[in-house]
Amino acid sequence: MAKSDSLGQFEQLVLTAILHLKDDAYGVTIHAKVEELARPKAASLGAVYVTLDRLEDKGLISSRLSDPTPERGGRSKRCYKLEALGERALQESAATARRVWEAVAEEWGKEIEAWGPRRPKWNPVRPK
Amino acid sequence: MGAAPPKMESGPPKVMETVIGILIPPACREEVLGDLHERYDGLPRYFLEACFTVPMVIASRIRRTTEPGLLLLEAMVLYLSLTAGALVSGQTHFLTEQNGYSKLAVLIAMALLALVLVDAYAGVAARLILAPAAALGALLFQFRLQASNPELAIPSFRMVLFGSLAGMLLVTALRWLFAPGDNRTTGA
Repeated sequence: MAKSDSLGQFEQLVLTAILHLKDDAYGVTIHAKVEELARPKAASLGAVYVTLDRLEDKGLISSRLSDPTPERGGRSKRCYKLEALGERALQESAATARRVWEAVAEEWGKEIEAWGPRRPKWNPVRPK
Repeated sequence: MGAAPPKMESGPPKVMETVIGILIPPACREEVLGDLHERYDGLPRYFLEACFTVPMVIASRIRRTTEPGLLLLEAMVLYLSLTAGALVSGQTHFLTEQNGYSKLAVLIAMALLALVLVDAYAGVAARLILAPAAALGALLFQFRLQASNPELAIPSFRMVLFGSLAGMLLVTALRWLFAPGDNRTTGA
């Protein structure tokens, strides 16, 4: 029985990519989205596969093979879908990230405003 | 100005794709080869990407198909079988006087490696047939070792034969009882 436990940062990125890509979530698109989210850090395709396998074992996502396509040399895609457990785990992670952001903003409010262009590594979604 | 030439379909060479495909475990071969094909952007980049991706895919597959508890049990029954082989063939002095237990470990490590690879590369049904074949492979490795590197080999043929047969039977029985699972769906 899979259980909901805390997610690693890379797992959060992969789950967010699957959430964002909806029905078009497969190896190549997930990797592209993860690279976009993790910028300026690079992510390898192999690391994405390893994480997808781990998330599937935890029951957070499920997968199925699609029909073969010519641009893939006649091979199928493995499409991934967020499961209810995965949605809950991602919500918990997002809530934690939001609390961290609020606590940091409370202490360093004005400094954070100044980080924008100079510190591209820190670029979370601003809370409403 | 002539008409633009028809766009050639670009993709990795078939030979390279076939070789990479052989290395990837069948359970994830289809999607990994497809993803690499889709990302194809010249041969050097394809080759590099395959070199970085395939070992991680294999490691992940091994992690999914290997049950540490079962592997430990298999190591124990192989050790016991070979030790029993030493008793039956009157080679107990080999175990105590010639680093026998360490030499057994070489053979057992080879058998376990073969079993781990069988689990990663074969389907659930095929594993039960291939597991004894893997043990037999380790036995053949022992004979090869005896020819090329005798100081690492087990000297008694009877001991290895008895131990391997007993180990093969016990490993097969363990696998019938606690078959390693395959938690991946393959249907479209």
